[in-house]
Amino acid sequence: MHRRTFAALVSALLLGSALTACGSDDDGGATGDNTGVTLTMLMGVNNIYPEQQRQWFTEISGKFQQETGATVRFETFASANDELTKIQTSVVAGQGPDVYALGTTFTPTAYATGAFVELQKDDWDKVGGRDRFLPATLGISGPDEQHEVGIPFASRPFVMAYNKDLLTAAGIDKPADSWDGLRDQAKQLTKDSTYGLAIGYADGFDPWKFIWAMTTQAGTPVVKDGKAALDGPNTKLAYQSYLGWLATDKVVDPAAVGWKNAQAIAAFGEGKAAFLPMVSASSKVTLDKSAVAGKYAYAVMPTIPPGATALPAGGVAATSILSGDNVVVAKYSKHKDLSLALVKLLTSEESQTSYYKTFGELPTNQAAAKALGGDPALAAIVDSAGKSVNTPFTGAWGQVQLALTNVVVQSIPDLSAGKVDDGKLTGLLGQAQSTAQGALDKAK
Amino acid sequence: MFLPGGVLTLLVIVVPLAVALYISLLDLDQYSIREWVGADFIAFDNYVEAVRDSHLVHAIGISLGYSALVSLACVPVGLAAAVATQDRFRGRGLVRSILLVPYVLPAFVVGSTWRIIFQPDGIANRVLGTDGLWLNGPRSFWALVLVQLWAGWPLVYLLAAAGLQSLDATVHEAAALDGAGWWAKLRYVVLPQLRGPVSLALVISFLHNVNSFTLPFVLFGVPSPVDVEVLPVLTYVESFQNFEFGLSVAMAVVSLVLVAIPMAVYLRAVRLDTGRERGSR
Repeated sequence: MHRRTFAALVSALLLGSALTACGSDDDGGATGDNTGVTLTMLMGVNNIYPEQQRQWFTEISGKFQQETGATVRFETFASANDELTKIQTSVVAGQGPDVYALGTTFTPTAYATGAFVELQKDDWDKVGGRDRFLPATLGISGPDEQHEVGIPFASRPFVMAYNKDLLTAAGIDKPADSWDGLRDQAKQLTKDSTYGLAIGYADGFDPWKFIWAMTTQAGTPVVKDGKAALDGPNTKLAYQSYLGWLATDKVVDPAAVGWKNAQAIAAFGEGKAAFLPMVSASSKVTLDKSAVAGKYAYAVMPTIPPGATALPAGGVAATSILSGDNVVVAKYSKHKDLSLALVKLLTSEESQTSYYKTFGELPTNQAAAKALGGDPALAAIVDSAGKSVNTPFTGAWGQVQLALTNVVVQSIPDLSAGKVDDGKLTGLLGQAQSTAQGALDKAK
Repeated sequence: MFLPGGVLTLLVIVVPLAVALYISLLDLDQYSIREWVGADFIAFDNYVEAVRDSHLVHAIGISLGYSALVSLACVPVGLAAAVATQDRFRGRGLVRSILLVPYVLPAFVVGSTWRIIFQPDGIANRVLGTDGLWLNGPRSFWALVLVQLWAGWPLVYLLAAAGLQSLDATVHEAAALDGAGWWAKLRYVVLPQLRGPVSLALVISFLHNVNSFTLPFVLFGVPSPVDVEVLPVLTYVESFQNFEFGLSVAMAVVSLVLVAIPMAVYLRAVRLDTGRERGSR
């Protein structure tokens, strides 16, 4: 009797799993009958507003069900590394989420796998038309206009926060527009226990953005036309400036060699630093609850590279990397039209405005962005969004980024000893150059 | 009779190992992962690149060095704790539980906590009166050894305590009758009996430390400082951040071979593979 019940249970289990594995192959399209169809969307977990995000998931699924009859199930990833791992496993397995919300800097890597839908004209029409988006946000959707995979979803440009009170007390009316000027202002502002700049040298993501900005502004970007320029003089100068803030200029707290971005924000929030570069609007939440609430403002970061007093010929006045989220649709998805309909919903003016109001991330929808232009607290951020420049669109960018960060990591011991060793820096840059160029050569 | 265990072993160990060996012969990266079976076959190019161009040799040196150091250092600490809690005393149960805490804490909790302790303005520097970096630079190697030792010694303690339980009480009595003091008893009676458990603890501890990924990853992050570039973190960076799957699998295979050889020799020497005592047939 026991063996028979056991066998019955096992076969029931097997049958059940076999049935669920056979999903339905077709849906009713974006307008037909889609009851019972569930789309899956993967996006990053919002640690600042987790409750609101859960609520937003339910709202979107409800709205989508009203429009098309299908529901949306959301999966989240905790960090950029998790996101990459999820993409890899789904790409190999040929199944997984239908729609992904990717960080912009990862869009080139996702494109390189060839696993995401390249949007043709009628695909763009299905998401509401390519011209409903801010032109600047389309910069990292694909290598060129004919091969775009990313639909811009949210914009998180980088800006600098500054302590208005500290600046007024020192007689400075606004932050400088050149990196050298900023350094001089920081020197003026470093006294007693306050420092001019709060920098997270040990952060895994911040350092390379400074180097990228300075070299792009100098007209010699780290990657151009498949060639890496990490061992060039401007790159070296960028590193010397960045590392020099702590080592030689002494305008950064010596403990910053161990700081991640969150610790730099905390130091600024305690009023211990005058400038806090390389933050996004998400810092607003933390700073509004800190000791400097009401005493700080945002400004765009300097656009004139180190060693110059005006933008050199060939230089690009980039205020920030093109930063935010793109949405991509997986090629293996069985519900492509429905997925595009979901993207259309997410990027509509109404959804984008409400997303901004809940999470503080700028819209990529032109109409929604225009409506926000009036808010003075956001002026610098919206300005930065418009002047953002995209990082190079190559599948090798991940390795280049890692090589750039690695130079900073290996320079930290010298940094805390108060020097920037010229020979060592040259050696590290040489290694970084060969790693980056090797990765670029393999790019297909 | 072999079937369930054999099938499981096949599925969980043999098949992934075979696939890994195959991948190590392919040019597998983000461009070819989608149709991975069709990726270019490049034979041993990955191995050449791993040994010649990457940091593999350096990482192996660091991993083996720090694992050996930690495993050896764990032995006296673990033994001392086992011997000290051997005799019954009031509160022994509580003491034994507290001693196990470092071992049962998850690695990322240990890493996060020690990361805070090792900050330039953190407790470590304040207590020791030093300043400077623990999480980067030459001291980072010792930071890793220290934390891994702190988290790993209870294993030796556990195995040694278990070994001590199996000691025959009459041996102790005989030694006492012969007038042996506690040091002589420890040296000539207790420790020789513990050779088996301690050897096992050494082997397990060494393997665990060589493969330990979470602790160095949480403590030092990626890219890792050159002094603590351990093998698991290097392999992780190559595959999950650089998308060089073929290369990272070749690295993993090289490290497997390198660790398997001394392990096999060692296991043979202590007869752990046959279970027979040394000197018997």
